[in-house]
Order: sequence, then structure tokens, then C-alpha cells
Amino acid sequence: MSEAEELPRSIMRRVVKYKLSRCSEDGEISVSKDGLLAFSESGRIFIHYLSATANDICKESKRQIINVENVFKALEETEFPEFVCPLKASLEEFRKKNARKKVVVSKGKEDEPKKKRKLEGESSDKGEGSEKGEDNDKGEDSDKGVSGDDQ
Amino acid sequence: MDHQGHSQNPSMGVVGSGAQLAYGSNPYQPGQITGPPGSVVTSVGTIQSTPAGAQLGQHQLAYQHIHQQQQHQLQQQLQQFWSNQYQEIEKVTDFKNHSLPLARIKKIMKADEDVRMISAEAPVIFARACEMFILELTLRSWNHTEENKRRTLQKNDIAAAITRTDIFDFLVDIVPREDLKDEVLASIPRGTMPVAGPADALPYCYMPPQHASQVGAAGVIMGKPVMDPNMYAQQSHPYMAPQMWPQPPDQRQSSPEH
Repeated sequence: MSEAEELPRSIMRRVVKYKLSRCSEDGEISVSKDGLLAFSESGRIFIHYLSATANDICKESKRQIINVENVFKALEETEFPEFVCPLKASLEEFRKKNARKKVVVSKGKEDEPKKKRKLEGESSDKGEGSEKGEDNDKGEDSDKGVSGDDQ
Repeated sequence: MDHQGHSQNPSMGVVGSGAQLAYGSNPYQPGQITGPPGSVVTSVGTIQSTPAGAQLGQHQLAYQHIHQQQQHQLQQQLQQFWSNQYQEIEKVTDFKNHSLPLARIKKIMKADEDVRMISAEAPVIFARACEMFILELTLRSWNHTEENKRRTLQKNDIAAAITRTDIFDFLVDIVPREDLKDEVLASIPRGTMPVAGPADALPYCYMPPQHASQVGAAGVIMGKPVMDPNMYAQQSHPYMAPQMWPQPPDQRQSSPEH
């Protein structure tokens, strides 16, 4: 297994320590190095297991893209149904955050042409040959919400 | 000049309380009316002209009264502010912010060649699900640590959690075989499983013809091949070992780990 496929140990330690601090009132419980490695490995295998199950469900429904509903069904199939409710709540939160971001981005894009016009006007008044106002913005790939085969 | 200095509105001289007023609050009381120099405002709101001698005492009284009102108002605002703060604090329950990196999760998912395309929201759910799974595994591992009266969570605690919980069966590969065997043996209570020595150590037993015929020529009893039953037909009383299952020696309890 490559290093790139490993889950970050710092985050794993934080998650484990957070839970242990809530479990034991009397003092702190430490985690051994091989224990932390086992947690990291367990998380990786869990992701593999869940994605494989979700992929099977996706194929059954004759679709190519693994979506959220497939993941929820996979969780129920892999006997983790108690995860579904909190995950749905966090998904709603994520969607709300995304909606807010989109509003901010769209406002920014609306303001950009006005700025460009102002800058162009100033440069034409000065009679300079070089167009300072124009930004060489390359059109970024629009995030369609699907990542294809980028292996 | 001195006379005018005394006749100023008392509230103007209050530096300490006026500066501490909360944002949006009115520093002046609604019932307070200012009068011309040489007059004192009573609580009713009527202006009474008084001699300069009695004016000082009344000024002080009015000043104290207004000061007390302002202090009381400040106190109320302060209490209200902190009660609101406490309510907000109580609402917040989730202080943690340790989500796993989405790019890494996507890489792990893409390691499976069958997985082709993933929606943008899927890695977010995977990250949260993985976090919840780790929390669950931690809790179950900690139970084993606590049982053994230790303060360090070790790999064998995770192995125990995996072997004890059916839904974690997919994780058996990450636990070494020795650990698994130890955990399985530890989970079975003593006395339920007969402990026998190796096959060679067991006594050889002769079977009577009626029993041997059921087994057949190719059968094996206690690790030994069953011979032709006709050979032992003449023996009316077959020899049987007095103790088929030797009792296990008393297992000494290992000292608890630290």
C-alpha cells in the first residue's frame, strides 16, 4: 500500500483522542503507535469496503456515477444503518455551506465586469497602448460535481 | 463662573458610568429634564428655583439618583448579555473539526478499478462515515483496554473489538492470526471446551466389532487408522482407556499488563 493511500495519522490521532477523552473522566488514555496504525488501516479498509458496496448498488441501478443515495444504501447493507441519520444531517449542512459559497462567488463574478469597464475607461483616457485593465483569466473548469477517471 | 459650573447637568459629569454603557443604549433617562442655571429638576419633572446654598445638596441627591439608575440599567444589560451568551454556548455541542481530506478519500476509492465516477458529495459522506466508524471502533477498543485495567490503547484491543463485533468482520485481515487466536480463546469461558493433547499422546483404543463396522476400513480414530475389525473379534472385553479426556493442567493466571 502506497503512502498516498494512507489516511493521515495526525487526524486519526485527533479523532481517537477526542473519543477517549470523552470516554474516560479520570485522566488521559494514550494510544500506542501500532494501535494508531491499525486505526488508520481500518479506516482505509472501511472506505474500500463501503465504496465497493456502493459501486455494486450503483451498477445494479444501471448508473455510472456513485451518488449519495448509493452510499446510504451501502451503509444499510454493510450493517451500519445508525450512521445514516447523522450523515444526512451533515450532508444538509454541507449543501447549505455550498449554496452560500455559490452566492458569494456569483456576486463576485457580477462585480468583475464593472471593474473591468472602469479600468478600461481609465486606460483609454490616459491613451496608453497597453491594456492594463484586462485580466488574463483562463476559464476554469466548471465543477460539474463529478470526477471522472483521473488515474 | 463658579455658579455656572455647579449648575451643569449632573449626568454630564458621570464619566465612569457613561463610558461603560452598552452599544445602542440611551445614556439619558427619559424622565430627566434639564432646567436653566440655578434650578433643580425634581422627579416629577417640574423646575423649582432654589437658593444657592440648598442647591448643592439637591444636586448631589439628583446625581446619586441618576447614577444609581444608570448602574441598575447597566447591571440588567450585563445580566441579559451573559444569559444570552450562556444560551448560545449551550446550543453548541460539536466543537470538533477534524474531517478527513477528501482528495485522499477519493484516491482510496479510485484504488478500486471497478469504481469509475464519484459524485462531488460522496467523498464528504465517506469522510464523515469513516470518522464515525473510527469513533465506534475506538469506543469498543477502549472497553477492552478498560477490562484489562490499562491506560494505553494497544493493537490487541482493536483486535478484540474486531473479533467481538460481527459488523467488523471485514477487518479480520488487518489483525494478525496470532492475535485473533488469542482473542478467540480469551473470549471463550474456561471449562466449556475440552483441551486435549496431541493425537499420539492419547491412548489407543480397541473397538468392538459392532462399533467398528459402522466406521469402515478407511476410518480414523484418534489419529490412528482403524484396522480390520475381524482381527479383534475374538476379544470379548475390548480394552478402553480409563480416562479418555485428560484434564488440563491448572493454568496459572498471568500477571495483568501495565
